[in-house]
Amino acid sequence: MRAVWRAARAAVRRRRLQTLVIALVTLTSSAAMVVALGLLDAASAPFDKVFGAQRGPHVVAEFDPAKAGGERLARAARQPGVEAAGPFRQATVELSDRAMEFGLGAQITVVGRADPGGPVDRLDLWAGRWATRPGEVVLNRQSDWTPDDLGKRLPMRPGGPSLTVVGFAFDLSRTADAWVAPEQIGALRPAATQLLLRFPDASSESRLRAGLDTVTETLPAGSLTASRSYLSLKHQVSSSARAYTPYLMAFGILGVVVAVLIIVNVVSGAVISGFRQIGVLRALGYTPWQVVGVHLAWIAVPAVLGCALGTAAGNALARPFFRSVFMGPDAGVLHDSVSVSGRVNAVTLLGLPAVCLLAALVPTLRVHRMPAARAISAGSAPRAGRALRLQRRLAGSALPRPVSLGMGLPFARPGRSALTLAAVVLGVTTVTFATGLATTMDRFGGAGRDAYQVTVYASRFDDGREIEPRHPDRELHALLAGLPDATEVTARADVEVGLVGSAHPAILEGRRGDRLSLGDVLTAGRWMRGDHEIVAGSAFLRQNGVRVGDRITLEKGGQRRPMRVVGEVMQNNARVVLTGWPALAALAPDERPVAYHVRLREGADPAAYARAARAADTGVSPAPRGPDNLTRTIVGSATALTLMLALVSALGVFNTVVLNTRDRRRDLGTLKSMGMTPGQVTLMTVTSMAVLGVLGSLLGIPLGVAGYELVVPRMADAVDITLPAFMTDVWRAPALAALALAGVAIAVAGALVPARRAGRLTIAEVLRGE
Amino acid sequence: MVTEDSGNEIVVRLDGVRKEYGETTALAGVSLEIRAGEAVAVMGPSGCGKSTLLNMIAGLDRPTGGSVVVHGENVGECGEKRLALYRRHRIGMIFQFFNLIDDLSALDNVALAAQLTGTPARQARRRAVELLDELGVADRRNAYPAVLSGGERQRVAVARALMNRPALLLADEPTGALDSRAGEQVMDLLLDLNQIGQTLILVTHDARLARRCAGRLIELADGRVTGEQALEVSA
Repeated sequence: MRAVWRAARAAVRRRRLQTLVIALVTLTSSAAMVVALGLLDAASAPFDKVFGAQRGPHVVAEFDPAKAGGERLARAARQPGVEAAGPFRQATVELSDRAMEFGLGAQITVVGRADPGGPVDRLDLWAGRWATRPGEVVLNRQSDWTPDDLGKRLPMRPGGPSLTVVGFAFDLSRTADAWVAPEQIGALRPAATQLLLRFPDASSESRLRAGLDTVTETLPAGSLTASRSYLSLKHQVSSSARAYTPYLMAFGILGVVVAVLIIVNVVSGAVISGFRQIGVLRALGYTPWQVVGVHLAWIAVPAVLGCALGTAAGNALARPFFRSVFMGPDAGVLHDSVSVSGRVNAVTLLGLPAVCLLAALVPTLRVHRMPAARAISAGSAPRAGRALRLQRRLAGSALPRPVSLGMGLPFARPGRSALTLAAVVLGVTTVTFATGLATTMDRFGGAGRDAYQVTVYASRFDDGREIEPRHPDRELHALLAGLPDATEVTARADVEVGLVGSAHPAILEGRRGDRLSLGDVLTAGRWMRGDHEIVAGSAFLRQNGVRVGDRITLEKGGQRRPMRVVGEVMQNNARVVLTGWPALAALAPDERPVAYHVRLREGADPAAYARAARAADTGVSPAPRGPDNLTRTIVGSATALTLMLALVSALGVFNTVVLNTRDRRRDLGTLKSMGMTPGQVTLMTVTSMAVLGVLGSLLGIPLGVAGYELVVPRMADAVDITLPAFMTDVWRAPALAALALAGVAIAVAGALVPARRAGRLTIAEVLRGE
Repeated sequence: MVTEDSGNEIVVRLDGVRKEYGETTALAGVSLEIRAGEAVAVMGPSGCGKSTLLNMIAGLDRPTGGSVVVHGENVGECGEKRLALYRRHRIGMIFQFFNLIDDLSALDNVALAAQLTGTPARQARRRAVELLDELGVADRRNAYPAVLSGGERQRVAVARALMNRPALLLADEPTGALDSRAGEQVMDLLLDLNQIGQTLILVTHDARLARRCAGRLIELADGRVTGEQALEVSA
């Protein structure tokens, strides 16, 4: 064993360049794999962990108490294998504008519940105590918030009961915004009863529906008014993580395949160019398996080192990346519990070196089969030429001889050229895929960005105190429109409304002014015109099972208003629906705009406009539009990964040229002795790889396009959006022509340095070695 | 056979040529002259610097000191490209182990030398066929080095060396890897070439080859010229 290790260490020293190539390749691949697998894992694991610990309900069902009373519901829930909490009475409570200070909307769902425990939906009471008496309330809040609102009164609308915050609990399942004692709920006029259910088989929506049907089959028709499954919640929470996962996985897989190809190429080359060395080892008494062991140990050193460094780099990169992915109202609930799991690190640390060793084993087995005498004598006899017909045709062509010689070289070592070609193909695939992705993301991020450049919020906070604008709504609108450089002003108000038939409220966004589309991209139907028309985001339509043309009913303050969905916009917020100002005013007549979006004339300075707006009314807070972070993150990470993989592909070419130059030292010396100039040697060597570059482009571009068609729709699906055609129609002739150069660029970049070295070979040294 | 006192122009002049590889001195101040049409044999024990001397004249290596002037051109001072052009147009090299390109047929190996000068493929092949014919291996022109005998390979190598009509033909142990019969044939070939005026410098261990082909013998030992004598050609 010591002898094997000693020979392997000597191989590492002797083949420093190839050892470095393997280490770099495995480092890049393992870093990409850690981030990709970590994200894939994080897209479900933290949710499952927290949901499991809380024994979250698989289905939250709401019933009409007039049709099914509490006793009857409790009896219905007693099914074999079904666990239930409740029935709990549920009320919708309107709060005053100051509710924002508590992080609450104007309308909240309050549930009467005796304690936070139970068989289902065990709440995490992380501050204060449970509400046990009338007049007390516990708020649903994540534990990373401060509990400094304890003891404060909830800002109710005039006439509402007085409720004091006595505790904070976190409920991942969002069964309520607040909880009160059962004795208190009556005073809040509950309109529904809530049943929280866990089923033995919760693997799919259809299973959950079947389970719910079993519970409700004895209840009167229409008693079930709304239901929501944990799968839609999970989908919502992990959607942003799932948006990143497909493309990161694509890069990770491409990285591993490139690593395998390059390792096979490096080891095959080492075996072929090291025949004499192998023969000497065998003559010294090494067994065939020991010689195989020497090669595997040599590969293991850079592979393990590269994987270890790559895994560490992946973990370091994942931390800030996950923080940006797990943000926002949905994914944010898990941002504390998200990290790269131990199993992801273990899989990468053990799996990738194992793949590398397996890749090395195949060519190394040739050593095992080869007699020692043959290994020692290899290289001293002329070898039979290869691709002879092609060489003859090239020799007779009108091409300059260095070019025609170079074009024939890849065919002299077809196995090595095939592996190099595969690395170039994958490099071009990556560049093509990333170019398509970046183009789509650029169009996605840029869509509607010219609609407005400044948002003027209709309030300002000073020392925690809200200051209102000095001008009334319409006057402020006109004032902002009259400021220098303003060309369009659109007011926007958001109001929380009930969605009849759903357990969850919706946010109705009313718009008024010059540009009702406000930068949203319409993917189906048309914009709203009438007072009973809305446009909804793709996510809202998918999650509520609604289609363009359907009718939904919105409810606010006991008033119901039927609305027709006339269009679909590219919007991943599943709660927002858009409408014109009259429809909003009909449901919420006192509602004022929360913001005014201002479009400036081309070339105007948004910061200067913001200063002017602030000077015009001290009660507003203008904010120039910031960059699109999602687009920046995806384009930035895709660019970085592409450059890394293109570099790795170029390293594969570099390695091949180094091996070819070593194998053909005698030929190069002969050609130079015949008068081939260093420039002609460089040209011949670069041409030999440029041929592979051209072939790589021809094969890699269709693969990259296929990868794009596979991954990008999945990314869009993950965030519940439909991408319009102009965003996905990215394969135009100029772009494809530019991509065709990618393979040649990778091949030339990888070949140039060793080709120039080949051009500078000292002939006498080369031929003396013979 | 052209001898030293024939009055022909001096084509090769070495003046105090030194070559060191690290601590090792391969040539320690060699001075000699070779005239056009001469056939000179360089002999000496292994490691005496014979091949190094040949490499200096061929422009395959540069001297550490002294000067190598061929046809008025100081080879040691040429840049890489100029040296390549010098080798291409003025020098024909014959190696002990032939150094044919395995992937090219005999014909294309020979034609390659002309194609590097920009000669069109068809024209280069035509001349290559003529040369192979003159050297008696035209029937093997489509064969590849791996299937040629040692003698045939060396004939192809000689044809390649002659392709651009070089001023100097340099042969480094041209019969060293051949059996006696093939060696004889190559000797005859070199003799014939010299007799039609080809200047020839021959490095060899083989005294018989030297006597047979060369008109002058230069003896080398420890990187120095230790003797020089005119030879009678034993035709």
